[in-house]
Amino acid sequence: MNSNIMINTANLTKYYGKRLGIQDVNLVVQPGEVFGYLGPNGAGKTTTIRTLLDFIRPTSGSATIFGMDIKHNSVTIHRRIGYLPGELELYGNLTGEELLIFLGKLRGGVEWKYVKELAARFDCDLPRRIKGLSHGNKQKLGILQAFMHKPELLILDEPTNGLDPLMQHEFYHLLDEIKKDGRTVFLSSHILPEVEKICDRVAMIRQGKIVTVDTIENLKARAVRKLEIHFARDIPKDKFIGITGVRDIVVLGNLLTCSVTGSLDVLVKAVAQFEVIDIVSNEPTLEDIFLAYYEDKHDVK
Amino acid sequence: MLNNVFQKALRDQWRSLLSWGLGLVVLAVIMAAFYPSISSMTSINQYFEELPKNMMQMFIGTEIIDYTSPVGYFSTELFSFMVPLLFLIYGVGLGTAVIAGEEDRGTLDFLLANPVPRWRVVIDKFGVILVSMIALAVVFWAGLAISVAAINIEISLLKLAEATLGALLVAMVFAAFSLFLGCLKGNRSVSLGVSGGLAVLTYFLNTLGSIVNGLKDYRFLSPFYHYMEPNTLKNGIDPGHTMVLVGLILVFFIASIPVFQRRDIAV
Repeated sequence: MNSNIMINTANLTKYYGKRLGIQDVNLVVQPGEVFGYLGPNGAGKTTTIRTLLDFIRPTSGSATIFGMDIKHNSVTIHRRIGYLPGELELYGNLTGEELLIFLGKLRGGVEWKYVKELAARFDCDLPRRIKGLSHGNKQKLGILQAFMHKPELLILDEPTNGLDPLMQHEFYHLLDEIKKDGRTVFLSSHILPEVEKICDRVAMIRQGKIVTVDTIENLKARAVRKLEIHFARDIPKDKFIGITGVRDIVVLGNLLTCSVTGSLDVLVKAVAQFEVIDIVSNEPTLEDIFLAYYEDKHDVK
Repeated sequence: MLNNVFQKALRDQWRSLLSWGLGLVVLAVIMAAFYPSISSMTSINQYFEELPKNMMQMFIGTEIIDYTSPVGYFSTELFSFMVPLLFLIYGVGLGTAVIAGEEDRGTLDFLLANPVPRWRVVIDKFGVILVSMIALAVVFWAGLAISVAAINIEISLLKLAEATLGALLVAMVFAAFSLFLGCLKGNRSVSLGVSGGLAVLTYFLNTLGSIVNGLKDYRFLSPFYHYMEPNTLKNGIDPGHTMVLVGLILVFFIASIPVFQRRDIAV
């Protein structure tokens, strides 16, 4: 049934005057999934999210949330979602507690016990005035206000921005609970390992256009890893040629560098014939993955 | 005090309102306190009579009035310039802050992410402007009324209230206009600058219009004309001119809703 779909966009396009924001974005977010929206800064992640929330109006195309039109039903939709802005600015003259009370009242009341529980988990200093809080502490308040009314759908723009590793961990933990509840999360990020860790499916956006939508497994399988292997002695190059998924092999005496797509298994077994001193694996950058997808697209042509 | 957008905005306004109110009361007290010494200086009237008639009209008003009378004194010192100006500065500042100010600071995003329609935000914010301005006017009037009564100046407290209402209305016109600009553009400097500029322009349109023949026919375009022309402190409220001011306020307020409803919110 169509109304079961959480977010559905159809050729969503936004131009700021002549400048492209996003073009023909088509996304379907299913209930219960943690959906990652991955892309470099300025790719159009925030534009997409702010369009979904009806802050900005699409130039063309349309979108629904819970099967309802984002423009005509924005108030009903907002009641059922939690939102964390990318560039979070809070009312500096209020304390954290006052802010949450205010936002809770706008939502017709929230379960204060749960708010307190969340505040304790994220170690929030609620009685303090927001003006004096660090960026990370403001971000924690931002997370609290998005989660406190237990919304069915969470739309989070770079949620871990400014959080220290401990709090990031707590946040991932919270997402797990949301997932267990069967609730849905749509989050943007420019950090690949983060998305790998928490998302079921990922859409990648670059220069306003969706590059691919795929599961994390497939994404990982296609990810190109650059390996540097240091051997004890010089090695022959021909032993490594023709291994599936291994490309760009360069041998310089006892040093081998190559690019690997997918599983490392066959390569590692080939390498094991020789005495290995060190293996350096460089995680693919976001740009590497985008390029890999771009090359694929051109290959298909 | 944090149950809805209106209460929150009023709460934000509280301190500023208090200091403005205090300032206006001090102004009222000082002006009233000076009156007894002015009233005995009959030579002042002679001084005014020696001024060119045009200049008199420009700064005091069309009607030549006795400066040493209470009505003449308070019209000239408070209601012809100072009080509407102060109300106006406060009102335009507030009209700018409630939408454009919040948008500039970047807090409008997560406010609108709540189940609150945009039209409701505009109505609540306008409500705060209205309530704050009325509160300011009442405080000023009370300060003036008490001072006038304490010093035994013979002037109608009702007429003082009516003149204060007039100043409130002319200031509200520009406050509502700055709200409208904020809803239209969401830029603080545009909202503040254009409203302020328009206030200065229309003020001079009215005052110069009283002496320059070519401008005379256009004076009705100035809200200040509808405020000054009835000489409310002497004659009481004029329903026609008052309706014009109220109408302008309503037009700007109502126009704010669709323009805000329609446009993109800046990041």
